[in-house]
Amino acid sequence: MSNVCEDQVYSSIFRANSKTLFNFIYYKFGNEEKAHDAVQEAFVKLWENCSKVEPKKAKSYLYTVANNMYLNVLKAEKVRLKYAQTPKEHSNESPEFLLEEKEYKKKLDNALNSLPENQRTTFLLNRIDGKKYAEIAEMEGVSVKAIEKRMHLALKSLREKIDGI
Amino acid sequence: MQDNYLAKWLNDELSEEELAKFKSSEEYASYKKLKGVSASLKAPDFDVEIALNELQTKRSQQSPKVIALNPYKKFLRIAAAIVILITGSYLYLNFSNTSYSSELAENTEVVLPDNSEVILNADSKVTFNEKNWDTNRKVNLRGEAFFKVAKGKKFTVETTQGSVSVLGTQFNVENRDGFFEVNCYEGLVQVEYKNIKKQLPAGTSFLVLDGKVLDVEESSALEPSWTRSESSFEGIPLKFVFKELERQFDISVNTENVDTNLLFTGTFSNTDLKMALKSIATPSRIKFKNEGDNVLFYAENTNQ
Repeated sequence: MSNVCEDQVYSSIFRANSKTLFNFIYYKFGNEEKAHDAVQEAFVKLWENCSKVEPKKAKSYLYTVANNMYLNVLKAEKVRLKYAQTPKEHSNESPEFLLEEKEYKKKLDNALNSLPENQRTTFLLNRIDGKKYAEIAEMEGVSVKAIEKRMHLALKSLREKIDGI
Repeated sequence: MQDNYLAKWLNDELSEEELAKFKSSEEYASYKKLKGVSASLKAPDFDVEIALNELQTKRSQQSPKVIALNPYKKFLRIAAAIVILITGSYLYLNFSNTSYSSELAENTEVVLPDNSEVILNADSKVTFNEKNWDTNRKVNLRGEAFFKVAKGKKFTVETTQGSVSVLGTQFNVENRDGFFEVNCYEGLVQVEYKNIKKQLPAGTSFLVLDGKVLDVEESSALEPSWTRSESSFEGIPLKFVFKELERQFDISVNTENVDTNLLFTGTFSNTDLKMALKSIATPSRIKFKNEGDNVLFYAENTNQ
Protein backbone atom coordinates (compact mmCIF):
# COMPACT_ATOMS: atom_id res chain seq x y z
CA MET A 1 0.00 0.00 0.00
CA SER A 2 1.20 3.48 -0.78
CA ASN A 3 2.44 5.57 2.08
CA VAL A 4 2.47 9.33 2.56
CA CYS A 5 6.10 9.00 3.65
CA GLU A 6 7.06 8.03 0.10
CA ASP A 7 8.33 11.05 -1.75
CA GLN A 8 6.21 10.42 -4.84
CA VAL A 9 2.98 10.04 -2.93
CA TYR A 10 3.76 13.08 -0.84
CA SER A 11 4.58 15.23 -3.86
CA SER A 12 1.43 14.22 -5.67
CA ILE A 13 -0.65 15.10 -2.59
CA PHE A 14 1.06 18.48 -2.57
CA ARG A 15 0.41 19.11 -6.26
CA ALA A 16 -3.22 18.12 -5.92
CA ASN A 17 -4.05 20.13 -2.84
CA SER A 18 -1.67 23.01 -2.18
CA LYS A 19 -3.26 25.56 -4.50
CA THR A 20 -6.75 25.11 -3.11
CA LEU A 21 -5.44 24.97 0.42
CA PHE A 22 -3.67 28.25 -0.22
CA ASN A 23 -6.85 29.83 -1.59
CA PHE A 24 -8.88 28.41 1.26
CA ILE A 25 -6.70 30.17 3.85
CA TYR A 26 -6.48 33.28 1.75
CA TYR A 27 -10.24 33.61 1.42
CA LYS A 28 -10.59 33.21 5.14
CA PHE A 29 -8.00 35.71 6.25
CA GLY A 30 -7.04 37.77 3.23
CA ASN A 31 -3.31 37.57 3.85
CA GLU A 32 -1.28 36.12 1.02
CA GLU A 33 1.93 35.71 2.98
CA LYS A 34 0.27 33.93 5.85
CA ALA A 35 -1.68 31.71 3.52
CA HIS A 36 1.64 30.73 2.00
CA ASP A 37 3.11 29.94 5.42
CA ALA A 38 0.02 28.00 6.37
CA VAL A 39 0.41 25.75 3.35
CA GLN A 40 4.05 25.12 4.21
CA GLU A 41 3.31 24.41 7.83
CA ALA A 42 0.39 22.14 7.11
CA PHE A 43 2.53 20.06 4.77
CA VAL A 44 5.44 19.94 7.22
CA LYS A 45 3.00 18.61 9.81
CA LEU A 46 1.77 16.05 7.32
CA TRP A 47 5.36 14.95 6.68
CA GLU A 48 6.08 14.63 10.38
CA ASN A 49 3.02 12.42 10.76
CA CYS A 50 3.28 10.72 7.38
CA SER A 51 3.31 7.24 8.89
CA LYS A 52 0.11 7.90 10.82
CA VAL A 53 -1.97 9.54 8.07
CA GLU A 54 -3.42 7.41 5.30
CA PRO A 55 -3.16 8.91 1.78
CA LYS A 56 -6.98 8.97 1.60
CA LYS A 57 -7.18 11.02 4.76
CA ALA A 58 -4.32 13.37 3.87
CA LYS A 59 -6.56 16.03 2.35
CA SER A 60 -8.88 16.47 5.31
CA TYR A 61 -5.85 16.26 7.60
CA LEU A 62 -4.29 19.21 5.78
CA TYR A 63 -7.42 21.33 6.01
CA THR A 64 -7.85 20.55 9.68
CA VAL A 65 -4.25 21.50 10.46
CA ALA A 66 -4.36 24.68 8.39
CA ASN A 67 -7.64 25.71 9.90
CA ASN A 68 -6.51 25.18 13.47
CA MET A 69 -3.22 26.92 12.87
CA TYR A 70 -4.60 30.22 11.69
CA LEU A 71 -8.01 30.19 13.25
CA ASN A 72 -6.99 32.02 16.38
CA VAL A 73 -4.01 33.94 15.03
CA LEU A 74 -5.75 35.68 12.21
CA LYS A 75 -9.30 35.97 13.31
CA ALA A 76 -8.67 39.39 14.80
CA GLU A 77 -6.91 40.80 11.78
CA LYS A 78 -8.83 42.90 9.33
CA VAL A 79 -9.41 41.19 6.04
CA ARG A 80 -8.16 42.97 2.95
CA LEU A 81 -8.63 40.80 -0.03
CA LYS A 82 -7.58 41.78 -3.47
CA TYR A 83 -8.63 39.69 -6.37
CA ALA A 84 -6.49 39.68 -9.43
CA GLN A 85 -8.36 41.34 -12.22
CA THR A 86 -9.17 39.16 -15.13
CA PRO A 87 -7.48 40.63 -18.15
CA LYS A 88 -10.01 41.67 -20.70
CA GLU A 89 -9.79 39.53 -23.76
CA HIS A 90 -12.05 41.70 -25.80
CA SER A 91 -11.60 45.40 -25.72
CA ASN A 92 -14.40 46.20 -28.06
CA GLU A 93 -16.48 47.34 -25.09
CA SER A 94 -17.40 50.93 -24.75
CA PRO A 95 -15.38 53.01 -22.24
CA GLU A 96 -18.59 53.61 -20.29
CA PHE A 97 -19.15 49.90 -19.98
CA LEU A 98 -15.53 49.33 -18.87
CA LEU A 99 -15.79 52.06 -16.26
CA GLU A 100 -19.06 50.61 -15.02
CA GLU A 101 -17.49 47.18 -14.84
CA LYS A 102 -14.55 48.56 -12.85
CA GLU A 103 -16.93 50.28 -10.45
CA TYR A 104 -18.88 47.09 -10.03
CA LYS A 105 -15.78 45.05 -9.19
CA LYS A 106 -14.75 47.59 -6.59
CA LYS A 107 -18.18 47.30 -4.99
CA LEU A 108 -17.93 43.53 -5.11
CA ASP A 109 -14.49 43.58 -3.46
CA ASN A 110 -15.82 45.74 -0.65
CA ALA A 111 -18.88 43.57 -0.25
CA LEU A 112 -16.74 40.42 -0.10
CA ASN A 113 -14.47 41.95 2.52
CA SER A 114 -17.41 42.67 4.76
CA LEU A 115 -18.80 39.12 4.55
CA PRO A 116 -18.37 36.74 7.47
CA GLU A 117 -15.27 34.62 6.91
CA ASN A 118 -17.15 31.32 6.43
CA GLN A 119 -19.59 32.77 3.86
CA ARG A 120 -16.77 34.40 1.90
CA THR A 121 -14.71 31.22 1.87
CA THR A 122 -17.63 29.15 0.63
CA PHE A 123 -18.58 31.68 -2.04
CA LEU A 124 -15.06 32.09 -3.40
CA LEU A 125 -14.19 28.40 -3.31
CA ASN A 126 -17.19 27.85 -5.50
CA ARG A 127 -16.81 30.85 -7.79
CA ILE A 128 -13.03 30.91 -8.20
CA ASP A 129 -11.98 27.29 -7.63
CA GLY A 130 -15.19 25.77 -8.97
CA LYS A 131 -15.52 23.53 -5.93
CA LYS A 132 -18.77 21.65 -5.45
CA TYR A 133 -20.72 22.22 -2.24
CA ALA A 134 -19.91 18.70 -1.07
CA GLU A 135 -16.19 19.35 -1.46
CA ILE A 136 -16.37 22.64 0.43
CA ALA A 137 -18.33 20.89 3.16
CA GLU A 138 -15.49 18.37 3.53
CA MET A 139 -12.86 21.10 3.73
CA GLU A 140 -14.75 23.04 6.36
CA GLY A 141 -15.82 19.94 8.21
CA VAL A 142 -19.53 20.81 8.09
CA SER A 143 -22.61 19.44 6.28
CA VAL A 144 -23.55 20.22 2.67
CA LYS A 145 -26.73 21.79 3.98
CA ALA A 146 -24.68 24.24 6.02
CA ILE A 147 -22.62 25.16 2.96
CA GLU A 148 -25.79 25.78 0.95
CA LYS A 149 -27.01 28.02 3.69
CA ARG A 150 -23.74 29.94 3.72
CA MET A 151 -23.87 30.29 -0.03
CA HIS A 152 -27.43 31.54 0.03
CA LEU A 153 -26.63 34.12 2.72
CA ALA A 154 -23.44 35.15 0.93
CA LEU A 155 -25.32 35.82 -2.34
CA LYS A 156 -28.07 37.62 -0.52
CA SER A 157 -25.84 40.01 1.40
CA LEU A 158 -23.51 40.57 -1.53
CA ARG A 159 -26.41 41.68 -3.67
CA GLU A 160 -27.78 43.87 -0.94
CA LYS A 161 -24.41 45.54 -0.44
CA ILE A 162 -23.79 46.06 -4.16
CA ASP A 163 -27.29 47.36 -4.88
CA GLY A 164 -27.04 49.54 -1.82
CA ILE A 165 -30.11 48.14 -0.07
CA MET B 1 -39.31 28.70 -3.03
CA GLN B 2 -37.20 26.16 -1.21
CA ASP B 3 -34.59 26.98 1.42
CA ASN B 4 -31.31 28.35 0.20
CA TYR B 5 -32.74 28.76 -3.29
CA LEU B 6 -29.92 31.14 -4.21
CA ALA B 7 -27.39 28.39 -3.58
CA LYS B 8 -29.51 25.94 -5.56
CA TRP B 9 -29.84 28.40 -8.42
CA LEU B 10 -26.08 28.93 -8.56
CA ASN B 11 -25.70 25.17 -8.75
CA ASP B 12 -28.48 24.83 -11.38
CA GLU B 13 -30.63 22.81 -9.04
CA LEU B 14 -33.83 24.83 -9.20
CA SER B 15 -36.88 23.26 -10.83
CA GLU B 16 -38.18 24.96 -13.97
CA GLU B 17 -41.10 26.40 -12.06
CA GLU B 18 -38.89 27.83 -9.38
CA LEU B 19 -36.45 29.15 -11.92
CA ALA B 20 -39.23 30.89 -13.82
CA LYS B 21 -40.49 32.43 -10.62
CA PHE B 22 -37.02 33.56 -9.64
CA LYS B 23 -36.36 35.01 -13.09
CA SER B 24 -39.49 37.09 -12.81
CA SER B 25 -38.41 38.64 -9.52
CA GLU B 26 -36.93 42.13 -9.66
CA GLU B 27 -33.61 41.23 -8.00
CA TYR B 28 -32.88 38.48 -10.52
CA ALA B 29 -30.88 40.80 -12.76
CA SER B 30 -28.60 41.71 -9.86
CA TYR B 31 -27.97 38.09 -8.97
CA LYS B 32 -27.29 37.21 -12.56
CA LYS B 33 -24.69 39.91 -12.81
CA LEU B 34 -23.13 38.82 -9.53
CA LYS B 35 -22.91 35.28 -10.81
CA GLY B 36 -21.23 36.38 -14.02
CA VAL B 37 -18.73 38.80 -12.55
CA SER B 38 -17.76 36.59 -9.60
CA ALA B 39 -16.86 33.81 -12.06
CA SER B 40 -14.15 36.04 -13.44
CA LEU B 41 -12.52 36.65 -10.05
CA LYS B 42 -9.10 35.25 -9.42
CA ALA B 43 -7.09 34.36 -6.36
CA PRO B 44 -3.48 35.48 -5.98
CA ASP B 45 -0.92 33.50 -7.93
CA PHE B 46 0.37 30.41 -6.26
CA ASP B 47 3.15 28.47 -7.93
CA VAL B 48 2.78 24.91 -6.81
CA GLU B 49 6.24 23.78 -7.96
CA ILE B 50 8.04 26.66 -6.26
CA ALA B 51 6.12 26.00 -3.05
CA LEU B 52 6.92 22.29 -3.26
CA ASN B 53 10.62 23.07 -3.73
CA GLU B 54 10.56 25.38 -0.79
CA LEU B 55 8.93 22.70 1.30
CA GLN B 56 11.49 20.08 0.29
CA THR B 57 14.40 22.35 1.17
CA LYS B 58 12.78 23.02 4.50
CA ARG B 59 12.34 19.31 5.01
CA SER B 60 15.94 18.44 4.17
CA GLN B 61 17.13 21.10 6.58
CA GLN B 62 14.97 19.70 9.29
CA SER B 63 15.44 16.04 8.65
CA PRO B 64 16.53 13.68 9.85
CA LYS B 65 14.24 14.34 12.70
CA VAL B 66 16.41 14.37 15.79
CA ILE B 67 15.02 13.26 19.07
CA ALA B 68 17.34 14.38 21.80
CA LEU B 69 17.71 11.50 24.16
CA ASN B 70 19.88 13.49 26.53
CA PRO B 71 21.57 10.51 28.14
CA TYR B 72 23.43 12.85 30.48
CA LYS B 73 20.17 13.92 32.09
CA LYS B 74 19.21 10.34 32.72
CA PHE B 75 22.61 9.68 34.24
CA LEU B 76 22.21 12.71 36.50
CA ARG B 77 18.89 11.43 37.72
CA ILE B 78 20.37 8.10 38.71
CA ALA B 79 23.40 9.80 40.27
CA ALA B 80 21.15 12.07 42.30
CA ALA B 81 19.15 9.09 43.55
CA ILE B 82 22.33 7.29 44.58
CA VAL B 83 23.68 10.35 46.38
CA ILE B 84 20.44 10.76 48.30
CA LEU B 85 20.45 7.09 49.21
CA ILE B 86 24.06 7.15 50.44
CA THR B 87 23.67 10.38 52.41
CA GLY B 88 20.41 9.17 53.84
CA SER B 89 21.80 5.87 55.05
CA TYR B 90 24.96 7.57 56.38
CA LEU B 91 22.91 10.01 58.40
CA TYR B 92 20.62 7.21 59.50
CA LEU B 93 23.47 5.01 60.72
CA ASN B 94 25.27 7.92 62.35
CA PHE B 95 22.54 9.69 64.11
CA SER B 96 19.86 7.16 64.66
CA ASN B 97 19.78 5.74 68.10
CA THR B 98 19.27 2.19 69.13
CA SER B 99 16.63 1.71 71.73
CA TYR B 100 15.25 -1.15 73.78
CA SER B 101 12.17 -1.04 75.89
CA SER B 102 10.15 -3.26 78.15
CA GLU B 103 6.39 -3.40 78.32
CA LEU B 104 4.28 -3.39 81.43
CA ALA B 105 4.69 -6.54 83.54
CA GLU B 106 7.87 -7.53 81.73
CA ASN B 107 11.66 -7.29 82.14
CA THR B 108 14.11 -7.02 79.28
CA GLU B 109 17.81 -7.73 79.26
CA VAL B 110 20.02 -5.69 76.95
CA VAL B 111 23.69 -6.28 76.19
CA LEU B 112 25.43 -3.07 75.18
CA PRO B 113 28.20 -3.04 72.53
CA ASP B 114 30.95 -3.26 75.19
CA ASN B 115 29.24 -6.21 76.91
CA SER B 116 27.84 -4.03 79.66
CA GLU B 117 24.49 -5.39 80.72
CA VAL B 118 21.28 -3.51 81.26
CA ILE B 119 18.22 -5.13 82.77
CA LEU B 120 15.09 -3.09 82.18
CA ASN B 121 12.33 -3.22 84.78
CA ALA B 122 8.71 -3.01 83.62
CA ASP B 123 7.68 -0.11 81.35
CA SER B 124 11.19 1.25 80.82
CA LYS B 125 13.33 2.25 77.90
CA VAL B 126 17.03 2.80 77.17
CA THR B 127 18.33 4.61 74.13
CA PHE B 128 21.93 4.81 73.01
CA ASN B 129 24.01 5.51 69.95
CA GLU B 130 25.68 2.31 68.79
CA LYS B 131 27.94 4.07 66.28
CA ASN B 132 29.65 6.33 68.79
CA TRP B 133 29.61 3.83 71.61
CA ASP B 134 33.40 3.39 71.77
CA THR B 135 34.04 7.08 72.40
CA ASN B 136 30.89 7.97 74.24
CA ARG B 137 29.33 5.44 76.59
CA LYS B 138 26.05 7.17 77.22
CA VAL B 139 22.50 5.85 77.55
CA ASN B 140 19.24 7.64 78.04
CA LEU B 141 16.91 6.03 80.51
CA ARG B 142 13.22 6.29 81.05
CA GLY B 143 11.89 4.12 83.84
CA GLU B 144 14.09 1.81 85.86
CA ALA B 145 17.11 -0.28 84.98
CA PHE B 146 19.95 -2.17 86.60
CA PHE B 147 23.34 -1.65 85.02
CA LYS B 148 26.37 -3.94 85.12
CA VAL B 149 28.93 -1.74 83.45
CA ALA B 150 32.06 -3.26 81.93
CA LYS B 151 35.32 -1.52 82.86
CA GLY B 152 36.33 1.23 80.49
CA LYS B 153 35.76 4.87 79.86
CA LYS B 154 33.17 6.92 81.67
CA PHE B 155 29.71 5.46 81.42
CA THR B 156 26.82 7.88 81.74
CA VAL B 157 23.13 7.30 82.31
CA GLU B 158 21.10 10.37 81.40
CA THR B 159 17.61 10.74 82.79
CA THR B 160 15.12 13.56 82.77
CA GLN B 161 15.87 14.20 86.44
CA GLY B 162 19.62 13.71 86.78
CA SER B 163 22.58 11.91 85.38
CA VAL B 164 24.72 9.07 86.75
CA SER B 165 28.25 8.45 85.62
CA VAL B 166 30.61 5.60 86.48
CA LEU B 167 33.76 3.90 85.35
CA GLY B 168 32.81 0.28 85.81
CA THR B 169 30.39 -1.00 88.35
CA GLN B 170 26.91 -2.27 89.06
CA PHE B 171 24.12 0.08 89.91
CA ASN B 172 20.39 0.60 89.62
CA VAL B 173 18.72 3.76 88.39
CA GLU B 174 15.02 4.39 88.83
CA ASN B 175 13.54 7.40 87.07
CA ARG B 176 9.77 7.60 87.57
CA ASP B 177 7.33 10.43 88.09
CA GLY B 178 8.43 12.21 91.24
CA PHE B 179 10.82 9.40 92.05
CA PHE B 180 14.52 9.23 91.31
CA GLU B 181 16.69 6.59 92.93
CA VAL B 182 20.19 5.35 92.31
CA ASN B 183 21.56 2.29 94.13
CA CYS B 184 25.21 1.39 93.82
CA TYR B 185 26.03 -2.31 94.22
CA GLU B 186 29.70 -2.39 93.22
CA GLY B 187 32.46 0.20 92.66
CA LEU B 188 31.67 3.88 92.75
CA VAL B 189 29.09 5.96 90.95
CA GLN B 190 28.65 9.69 90.74
CA VAL B 191 25.15 11.13 90.76
CA GLU B 192 24.34 14.62 89.51
CA TYR B 193 20.94 15.86 90.54
CA LYS B 194 20.25 19.50 89.89
CA ASN B 195 23.17 21.20 91.68
CA ILE B 196 24.00 18.21 93.83
CA LYS B 197 26.97 16.01 92.96
CA LYS B 198 27.26 12.93 95.12
CA GLN B 199 29.56 9.94 94.99
CA LEU B 200 27.98 6.67 95.95
CA PRO B 201 30.22 3.83 97.11
CA ALA B 202 28.96 0.25 96.98
CA GLY B 203 25.97 -0.41 99.19
CA THR B 204 24.69 3.16 99.24
CA SER B 205 21.72 4.80 97.54
CA PHE B 206 20.56 8.19 96.43
CA LEU B 207 16.83 8.86 96.64
CA VAL B 208 14.73 11.85 95.58
CA LEU B 209 11.00 11.84 96.28
CA ASP B 210 8.92 14.67 94.85
CA GLY B 211 12.03 16.82 94.55
CA LYS B 212 13.30 16.13 98.10
CA VAL B 213 16.62 14.37 98.57
CA LEU B 214 16.32 11.74 101.29
CA ASP B 215 18.87 9.81 103.32
CA VAL B 216 18.81 6.09 102.82
CA GLU B 217 20.37 3.41 104.98
CA GLU B 218 23.15 1.32 103.55
CA SER B 219 22.21 -2.07 102.21
CA SER B 220 24.24 -5.17 101.64
CA ALA B 221 22.27 -6.39 98.63
CA LEU B 222 24.32 -7.35 95.58
CA GLU B 223 21.67 -6.44 93.05
CA PRO B 224 18.22 -4.85 93.06
CA SER B 225 15.46 -7.09 94.33
CA TRP B 226 13.39 -6.70 91.15
CA THR B 227 15.97 -8.67 89.18
CA ARG B 228 14.85 -11.57 91.36
CA SER B 229 11.19 -10.73 90.64
CA GLU B 230 10.59 -8.91 93.86
CA SER B 231 9.99 -5.26 94.57
CA SER B 232 11.49 -3.93 97.78
CA PHE B 233 10.82 -0.66 99.53
CA GLU B 234 12.41 1.09 102.47
CA GLY B 235 10.24 3.86 103.84
CA ILE B 236 8.65 4.73 100.51
CA PRO B 237 5.22 6.43 100.33
CA LEU B 238 2.44 4.06 99.36
CA LYS B 239 1.60 5.96 96.17
CA PHE B 240 4.96 4.95 94.67
CA VAL B 241 4.45 1.40 95.85
CA PHE B 242 1.05 1.30 94.10
CA LYS B 243 2.61 2.73 90.94
CA GLU B 244 5.20 -0.02 90.98
CA LEU B 245 2.47 -2.60 91.55
CA GLU B 246 0.60 -1.29 88.52
CA ARG B 247 3.72 -1.60 86.38
CA GLN B 248 4.66 -5.05 87.55
CA PHE B 249 1.24 -6.61 86.99
CA ASP B 250 -0.20 -4.26 84.32
CA ILE B 251 -3.21 -3.50 86.46
CA SER B 252 -4.86 -0.34 87.66
CA VAL B 253 -4.87 0.51 91.35
CA ASN B 254 -7.48 2.65 93.05
CA THR B 255 -7.70 3.67 96.67
CA GLU B 256 -10.47 4.62 99.06
CA ASN B 257 -9.85 6.28 102.43
CA VAL B 258 -6.18 5.34 102.20
CA ASP B 259 -3.41 7.83 103.00
CA THR B 260 -1.06 7.22 100.06
CA ASN B 261 1.70 9.21 101.73
CA LEU B 262 2.03 6.59 104.42
CA LEU B 263 5.50 5.11 104.30
CA PHE B 264 5.88 1.48 103.36
CA THR B 265 8.74 -0.82 104.11
CA GLY B 266 8.62 -4.28 102.68
CA THR B 267 8.75 -6.46 99.63
CA PHE B 268 6.18 -7.81 97.20
CA SER B 269 6.36 -10.53 94.64
CA ASN B 270 6.35 -9.50 90.99
CA THR B 271 4.88 -12.81 89.88
CA ASP B 272 2.08 -13.62 92.31
CA LEU B 273 -0.51 -10.84 92.48
CA LYS B 274 -2.42 -12.32 95.42
CA MET B 275 0.75 -12.57 97.47
CA ALA B 276 1.83 -9.10 96.43
CA LEU B 277 -1.50 -7.55 97.42
CA LYS B 278 -1.34 -9.26 100.82
CA SER B 279 2.27 -8.13 101.26
CA ILE B 280 1.21 -4.54 100.85
CA ALA B 281 -2.16 -4.57 102.58
CA THR B 282 -1.33 -6.49 105.75
CA PRO B 283 1.53 -4.33 107.10
CA SER B 284 -0.33 -1.17 106.06
CA ARG B 285 -3.51 -2.39 107.75
CA ILE B 286 -5.70 -1.82 104.76
CA LYS B 287 -7.99 -4.12 102.82
CA PHE B 288 -8.10 -4.85 99.12
CA LYS B 289 -10.50 -6.09 96.50
CA ASN B 290 -9.30 -7.57 93.26
CA GLU B 291 -11.56 -7.75 90.22
CA GLY B 292 -9.88 -8.58 86.95
CA ASP B 293 -7.34 -5.88 86.15
CA ASN B 294 -8.63 -3.56 88.86
CA VAL B 295 -7.47 -3.48 92.44
CA LEU B 296 -9.07 -1.39 95.12
CA PHE B 297 -7.29 -0.68 98.39
CA TYR B 298 -9.59 0.60 101.08
CA ALA B 299 -9.49 1.32 104.75
CA GLU B 300 -11.78 -0.40 107.28
CA ASN B 301 -14.16 1.80 109.13
CA THR B 302 -11.93 3.06 111.95
CA ASN B 303 -14.73 4.40 114.09
CA GLN B 304 -15.34 1.15 115.91
